[in-house]
Amino acid sequence: MTSLVSARNVSKSFGSVRAVDNVSFDIEKGKITGLFGPNGAGKTTLLKALLGLTDCDGDLSVLGLDPFRQRKELMKNICFIADVAVLPGWIKVEQLLDFVEATHPNYSRKRSEELLSRTKVRKNAKVRELSKGMVTQLHLSIITAVDARLLVLDEPTLGLDIIFRKEFYSNLLNDYFDGERTILITTHQVEEIENLMTDIIFINDGRLLLDTSMESLASKYVELVTSGEDADRARSLGPLYERDVFGKKVMTFEGVDRDKVSAFGELHTPSVADLFVAKVMGAAG
Amino acid sequence: MITNQLALMRREIWEHRSIWITPAAVATITTLMAVAMVIAVAAFGEILNPDIEKIADATVPESMRRVALAVFLLGNTTVFLFAMWFLGIFYCLDALYAERKDKSILFWRSLPITDAETVVSKLLTVAIAIPLATMAGVIVSHLLNLIIVSIWLASEGANPMRFIWGAVPLFDTWIAVTTILLAVPIWLAPLLGWFLFISAWAKRGPLLRAVLPIAILPILEYIVFRSWTLGEAILSRLSIITMPIFESIAKAGFDEDDLQSMLSENISLVSWLDYGRFLTSIEVWAGLVVCGIFSTAAIYVRRYRDES
Repeated sequence: MTSLVSARNVSKSFGSVRAVDNVSFDIEKGKITGLFGPNGAGKTTLLKALLGLTDCDGDLSVLGLDPFRQRKELMKNICFIADVAVLPGWIKVEQLLDFVEATHPNYSRKRSEELLSRTKVRKNAKVRELSKGMVTQLHLSIITAVDARLLVLDEPTLGLDIIFRKEFYSNLLNDYFDGERTILITTHQVEEIENLMTDIIFINDGRLLLDTSMESLASKYVELVTSGEDADRARSLGPLYERDVFGKKVMTFEGVDRDKVSAFGELHTPSVADLFVAKVMGAAG
Repeated sequence: MITNQLALMRREIWEHRSIWITPAAVATITTLMAVAMVIAVAAFGEILNPDIEKIADATVPESMRRVALAVFLLGNTTVFLFAMWFLGIFYCLDALYAERKDKSILFWRSLPITDAETVVSKLLTVAIAIPLATMAGVIVSHLLNLIIVSIWLASEGANPMRFIWGAVPLFDTWIAVTTILLAVPIWLAPLLGWFLFISAWAKRGPLLRAVLPIAILPILEYIVFRSWTLGEAILSRLSIITMPIFESIAKAGFDEDDLQSMLSENISLVSWLDYGRFLTSIEVWAGLVVCGIFSTAAIYVRRYRDES
């Protein structure tokens, strides 16, 4: 496999605060990787370092380039949506397409126009006249029309209703992802993209908590629903995290023998959201 | 590189509509003033503008009429010059501030365009696009003013082809005005660079942050050293008539009568501009160096500042 992103001991400090602390990971071609962390975990700082928007310590390579020092070259093959509201309000849709067409060597205006023709976005409208959902559709129509190797999405559906969110991810898969391209995405609505992801990365307090493929989740992690004495016995196996649900105990285990745990109750593979809570709270506890 | 610059400058014109609205507004105002003048003449029978009086006077020699027409057009152009002065300064103050205020900077930086290219495009806009847009306004205003005066002369029974169109040194004036409009941003370069830097750096209130040091530092210099060097340098830079390109004209004096007598000897405004003095002036080159330093600082701030 080819690593599109390679981070080795990457750190970034703001004064005495270490926003990203000695993080190492790889993202391979053709993957959809979810990057998760609580607020202030360092996700946005890490993404900014990947996009060349901020400098960092350590070795960071994106598409074989140093993102901060070779940002212009990098941006020819990378697209990102940092937030839905970043398109300038004063610009007309047509002007925006003109501008991207003139400045981006890998952009297909025809493709953008095809995508926009499926929406209610008018080409002579100003961005500020569009609804939030339409702005997202416009932004997505631009970035998916760029023949980019890596797409970075930072909370792309923030503030959108459920219909637009579903549509956004559906369009993303249908119009952009072709198995050759790579997506890195952060969102707090983990459950909405759980079925899209091939890999997940968790960070907390700037440190890497987890870096694994979705395929290997089932073999590495198990969730036990139990109660009473079984719960006490299961606890002796050292769960990562334990929570109460409707009077029952739900324990998340890491790297235990499923057969051993199954004797104490019902087993599930934890959802990404539950695993995220378990890893973060487990690390804190 | 050139494609990017053209696209970036086009974007500036889309975003900062004042670049073309200001000259259009000034052209409208000067045209309305010409209409008002003609109406006033028709109503009261008295010509208030001495240049128009000379233009309309059949006894005035041809050379003096040409001078009067040139001075009339230059008077009209002065309004554009002041408008461009304000436009350039306010454009620079907003150029790198607005993109941070509306958070669109993250979108612009997601495209394969360097911070240096962006800042250079702002400089090129103030140095080339704004003067050329202003020049378009000047040309329209000159033509409309001359047409209005022609209509009035024709209504008085005079021949506008002889009194106006056969006498007016239009192209000479336009070449001279274009040169002056392009020289103004070069002369103002250190201040424009400073304003651009402030627009990249200030978190809020760029106008106040840009103007305060310019106002306070000369006062501090006076209090501490009892000298006025910085104040004089800033005031000289803020004034358009102190540009070295006007040195020949300055020697003759800026009074309208002086200008009339100077032009009556040599009607060509283009030949009165001191290009050599301007291009070899230490003040001009020092100003460009200062502008370069502030612009580099603006690039640095745009590149390294974390906007989150």
